[in-house]
Parts: sequence; structure tokens; C-alpha cells
Amino acid sequence: MQKKVKSIVVTGVFVTFLTFFAVMCAVRYFNPTAVSESERRPLAQFPENITWEGIVDKTVIDDFEEYSVDQFPFREFFRSLKANFQLKVLCLNENNGLAVKDGYIAKIEQDFTQELVDYSIGRLQYVYETLLKDNGGDKFVAVIPDKNYFLAKDYGYPSPDYDKLVEDIKVALGGMEYIDIFGELELTDYYRTDTHWSQDRIGAVVDKLAEAMGAADRINGEYTENTLYPFKGVYYGQSALLPKPDTIVYLTNEILDSCTVFDYETGQTGKIYDFEKFEGNDGYDFFLSGTKALLRIDNPNATTDKELIIFRDSFGSSITPLLAEGYKSVYLVDIRYVVPDILDRFIDFENKDVLFLYSALILNSKSFK
Amino acid sequence: MLLLYFIVPFKCKNLVLLAASLFFYFYGEPIYTVLMLATILSSYLHGILIDKFRGTVWSKVFLWTSVITSIGALGFFKYSDFFIKNVNSLFKTDFALLGLALPIGISFYTFQTLSYTIDVYRGDAKVQKSPIRLATYVALFPQLIAGPIVRYTTVEEELSHRTHSFENFGYGVTRFIIGLSKKVLIADTLGALARTVHGMEEATVAAYWIYAVAVSLQLYFDFSGYSDMAIGLGRIFGFHFLENFNYPFISKSIAEFWRRWHMSLGTWFRDYVYIPLGGNRVSKWRWLFNTLVVWFLTGFWHGADWTFIIWGLFFAMFLMLEKFALNKFFAKLPRVFSHIYVIIAILISFVIFSADGLSGALADLGAMFGAGGIPLWSDETAYYFGSYAVVILAAILGATPLVKNAVLKMKETRVGSVVCDILEPVFAVVMLMVVTAYFVDGSFSPFLYFRF
Repeated sequence: MQKKVKSIVVTGVFVTFLTFFAVMCAVRYFNPTAVSESERRPLAQFPENITWEGIVDKTVIDDFEEYSVDQFPFREFFRSLKANFQLKVLCLNENNGLAVKDGYIAKIEQDFTQELVDYSIGRLQYVYETLLKDNGGDKFVAVIPDKNYFLAKDYGYPSPDYDKLVEDIKVALGGMEYIDIFGELELTDYYRTDTHWSQDRIGAVVDKLAEAMGAADRINGEYTENTLYPFKGVYYGQSALLPKPDTIVYLTNEILDSCTVFDYETGQTGKIYDFEKFEGNDGYDFFLSGTKALLRIDNPNATTDKELIIFRDSFGSSITPLLAEGYKSVYLVDIRYVVPDILDRFIDFENKDVLFLYSALILNSKSFK
Repeated sequence: MLLLYFIVPFKCKNLVLLAASLFFYFYGEPIYTVLMLATILSSYLHGILIDKFRGTVWSKVFLWTSVITSIGALGFFKYSDFFIKNVNSLFKTDFALLGLALPIGISFYTFQTLSYTIDVYRGDAKVQKSPIRLATYVALFPQLIAGPIVRYTTVEEELSHRTHSFENFGYGVTRFIIGLSKKVLIADTLGALARTVHGMEEATVAAYWIYAVAVSLQLYFDFSGYSDMAIGLGRIFGFHFLENFNYPFISKSIAEFWRRWHMSLGTWFRDYVYIPLGGNRVSKWRWLFNTLVVWFLTGFWHGADWTFIIWGLFFAMFLMLEKFALNKFFAKLPRVFSHIYVIIAILISFVIFSADGLSGALADLGAMFGAGGIPLWSDETAYYFGSYAVVILAAILGATPLVKNAVLKMKETRVGSVVCDILEPVFAVVMLMVVTAYFVDGSFSPFLYFRF
């Protein structure tokens, strides 16, 4: 009798489970979700153009499976359940390549993809050879470590060979002075839920760069700290762990407040901090309005005529304002979004100092392709 | 489909199952559905003809045409390129490869149809006059693509008369969820570990042993998980498939291991190859020959590559050694030594099984024993070992009957029995939710035995 009751319960629960999710799937079919905000990607939709050829070559089936996974009811709940099971029950160190240590979420890589690194460095080398080699100014390069570096250094996580990456940079850009900023950073200088560093934690990096570039005595370094909350970084959704969001701490003083930012793409002039962007998909776009091909920060209170050109990725958005105080103008170039060959139409490179400032994450990505 | 199956009258249930099975196969293998249907038709006609001409030479002729047709199809689709490659290599010829995709489950359903026609010829099974019933047997979706190899005689009665009950359904659901959990939570996780440590830039001896443990347990949990799912689904529909695994890693000899591992394949080869060759009631040399033939074929059945053949012959070697020396030797020692011997032999065998060609197998085995002066241990090895320690321990524990015995012991008391009966459905629901979560997060890999 007891066994029969158990069987009836199991049967009832299983049939209810199947029925409930079948109904929910049907509901989702008529009301699909377009974008996963937590993962910041579009979700697959029900396959269109179902043809016999597509069925036979299985593309329709593959598309349908992608759709059914992406549009599964309560997807975020299930992603969270899986992440927690993986990390807290199976006690694995990573879920989908993301590790959590002391609340800091980081992507763990065993190795750099040498082909990608070579390509990225090749692009920088091209810029140096075609635009900078003989311009007369001082030229610097620095690599920004990602959080994986600190998890490896401090906690024994696997990591790519950062020394080799730096060595490759030094060899390829032999005409530039390499500034080592690895020692000026630690894990807590980064956002817990994002790849980037926190502006209030990179004073030592600013000092090191300014010192090397001869701008230290022109930068005051006195700021007021302001906060924005909540900041849900890129790993917030990817980790599916529902961590506590970060707080963006941004720095202001009279000089930064007076600086203007000119966007060459739109021809518009704005400010360093873009409060509207903080409310968008990526709160980090608050700094210099996010992804921009070519910007110029003008400092009307500059005590010098010196100008700086920074070739950068998104890490540059939060650090450049802190360097701007030491220059009359700072140009920010992101060669992932602008062809280097046309840059001399907008920037006079003659006798200007140049800084290449790139994160290891970006150098080891397809961003430059 | 489930609803339809249970509401239609019994005489229509096989038709519903067959339609669902064909749809299931078509979903994964659209073109080769025709091949499976042709195989079913061939078996059906051969069964009729063998029975019709019983007692005459034609019965044997039709048996052979049945065997040749089935083995021919399997050979053509699975082994053509293997033979062409070897002919090209041996005779320096340049025949083009056919590049045929392997029809999913062909090795399994071919052996099932062979068992049917051979059993009909031997008189061990009655000829099946209903094409729907025979097609349902061959195409039955729970076990269609990765076994177990269900013999026709096992389900002969149930194709015509079977009972459906809450007990069957409840047991089937629980067994299905357990199998799915073994596959998704343990096997796939161990698969990720195996890939990671095998791909480490700085190889270490320890990493290769971790790899050996990971692939061995992955294969066990993957394949036995599928068998659990098949047995569970079968039970939901009223079929009682035989067990396919019985804790093989607790074996004390390789012979015992194969009585516990993929039992349906072992008994198939025993009944349709080994015994017809004379079995063990023959001279010593003939027995050696029979053993070599059976294990060559067992290896070759698993895949069209020399690594699988070597893998099969590796077991033949140990079976011979056990018969003539090792059994006597280990009988004098504490049992733990025979366990250690079996585990090491099994780990090595699965490293060969999982290797990328013969050179890959040699490289992997060499690394396990420190060839090339690789270090014993590294920080990276420690990291991955630490990260996967719980999964490895859970897998080792799950590969023994300890948990099952503990539950059975608990059920002997009234309170324990009630607790188990409450916890079992709860456990099943939790596991169902968790494996669903793994599917939703896209962390599912195809079953390893799909490729056989």
C-alpha cells in the first residue's frame, strides 16, 4: 500500500511537472523574450522558414533546440539553480568558466589564444609603424591585468602566461617605453561583478603612469568621491548567482567638472560622466559615455600645452579623466571602432605623447578582428 | 504522446509507441530513418521466411541472407572508411573515402534484429507475424540508440501483453531521473575534467591519472545512466528490460568485470558468437582462438578504429592470463590486490578506448607512467583535483553498491522504510529540477554511446 502511494505521488508529480512546463512553453511560444538582460545577448527565436531541406540537414532541429533552451520558462531561475548546484553542492571552482573568490567574480582562462594575441599586438604595431614611429613625442605602453591574474597569484587558480604577453608586447613595440602597472593593482581594485577596475581604486596606477610620462607634477590627485548604485557588471548576469550589485565610485573636482568631451563621431560636446548611460544596459558606460571610436577631452584649466593621445579599450574610460588634469587635451582612440589609416585627418600626431593602454582580456579577444 | 499512449486501447498502444519512436529517431537522424525501416522490413520478411521454410535448407539460407544483410549494412555504414584507409595504407592505393555519417544506434538495432532472426531460426522465439509489433521492438525509443541490446525473447510476451500500473510508472520515472542525473551531473562534469586535464599545457603524471579516472567513471556514468533511462522509460510503458550494469568497478577479475559491464553486449556475443564457436568446451588452443575472435569483435563493435580493436584484445589478453595464471596467483593474496589489479587494468583500458588513435593512446599511457620526464604534480593539477574532488568522490561512491545497500538496510525497519518512501519522490523532484537547470544552461553533452 505504502509503495503504491509512493508510486502515485511520483507519477502525479512527474505528470504535473511535464504538463506545467508544456503549458508554459506554449505560452512562451506566443510571447517570446527578445533579449536576456542578465547575459546581455539576444535570445534565439522560433525557427523561421521551416523547409524540408532544413529538416533533413538538421539546421531546423538545431535552431529549434537553441530556441527551446533560450526560451525555456523560468530560465533565470534554472540558470541560478545550476550555478549554485555547480559551485555549492558539487563544490566546483568554476561555473561556465567563471570563478568566485571572496565575492569577486572572474573569468578563468588556462591559456591565451596566441593567434588572437598576435593579431591584437599586430594591430598596435601597425599603428606604431604608420602613425607614431617618427612623430617626435614620447611613447608609452602598459598592459592591464584582469582579475584572473590576481586569482592565480593569490589563490593558485590557473592562468595564462602574463609574462609572455608582456614580453611579446615589449618586443613588438620596442620603440615604446613599457610601464609596468601590475604591481599597482590587486583584486579588490576591480568591481566584484564586472571586468573593469574601479576608478577610486586606481590612484597608484595613475601615479605610476603620470610619473613615467612626466605629468606627475601637473596632477593634483585630490578628488571628491561620489557613488552610484546599483551597478550590475557583466558577470552579474553571466554568473547567474544573483550577487550583491557593485557601487560605482566616481571622482570629481573642479578641474574634472570643467573638462569637456568632444565626440568626433557625433560632433557633440559633453561631460566626462554620462548619468544617462548609467541607467542603460552597461552601467560602466557612465564613464565617457561608453564605447566611442574617437574622443577628445579638453581641459580649460590646464597649466601646460602638452597633449596626450591614448589608444585604449574600455578600461581607459575610467582612468583617462584622472590623467586629463595633466594635459591641455587628451585624445582617446579605440582602433576597434576606427580605421587607423584615417586618424591623421583628425589628430595631428606631431610631438604628442602617446600611451597604449590595453587590458589583457581585450588583447586575448577577437575585438580587433 | 504520453497522454495519447495511455488513453488509447491496448491494441493501439504499440502503434503509438512506434510512431513516437520513429519521430524520435527522425528528429535526430532524418535521412537514416529510411535505413532503420529497411532493416526492420528485412528482419520481418526474413523471420517469416525462416519460419515458413523451417526444416528445409532454405531456412538456413534465409538465416544467412538475414545475417549478411544486417552485417552488410552495419559494415557499409560503419566500417567502409576504416577498411578503405587500411587498404590504402597497406597497398599504397588511393581509394577515396566514402565519408558516410554513422547512423545513430545502428550497432544496437542491428544486433537486436540479428538476435530476432537467429532466435527464430533456433526455435528460441516465435516468428512475429505483426510488422507493427516487430517494428515496435526494434525501434522502441527508450533503448533505440544506445542500448541496452534488448533481445527479442526478453520482450516477446510484453509486445502482446503487458500491464500498466502506478508502480511501473513510478518506478520508471524514478529510474529515468536517476539515469538522467548520472549522465548530466556526474558523467558530463567528469567529461569536462577529462578534457581540461588532458589539454593542460604543462602535463603531469598525476593529471594523466586523474584523466584516466575521469574518463573511466565518465564512461560508466554516461552509459549506465542511459541504460537506467532506457530501463525506466521501458517500465513506464510496461516493458521489463534486463539490467545492463551491475557495479563493474567492484570486480575482482576482468572476467567478472565483463559480467557486470554492458551485460547485454557480453551475453549477445556469448550466445551468438562464443558458444557457436565452441565456447570453452574445446581444446586450449581453440579456446584461445575463440576468445581472441570474440574480443576482437567486441572491440570492433565499439568503433571503426584500431584503438577499439586493441582495447578489445587488451581484455582478451587479461582473460587468458587470468585463466592460466592470475586467478591462482590472486587467490593466495588478500582480495584488495585483485581489486587494485582490476582497477588499474580498467583505467588503462579506458585511456586506450578514449584516445585519439593509436599514437594518442601510446602518448597518454606513456604520460601516465612519466614518459618524457614530465613532472609528477603541479599547481594546476592541484587546482583541478581540488575543484573536482567532490565529484570524483561522489562518482567513486556511486560506482559501488554502498549507497544502494545503505538504502536497502534502512528500508528493513518500518521507520526507515517510511522515511525512504518519503525521501525518494522528493529526491526525484529535486534531481529533475537540477538536470532541467543543466539543460537550460546549455551544459548538456551527447551520450558517448550514440557514436557506436
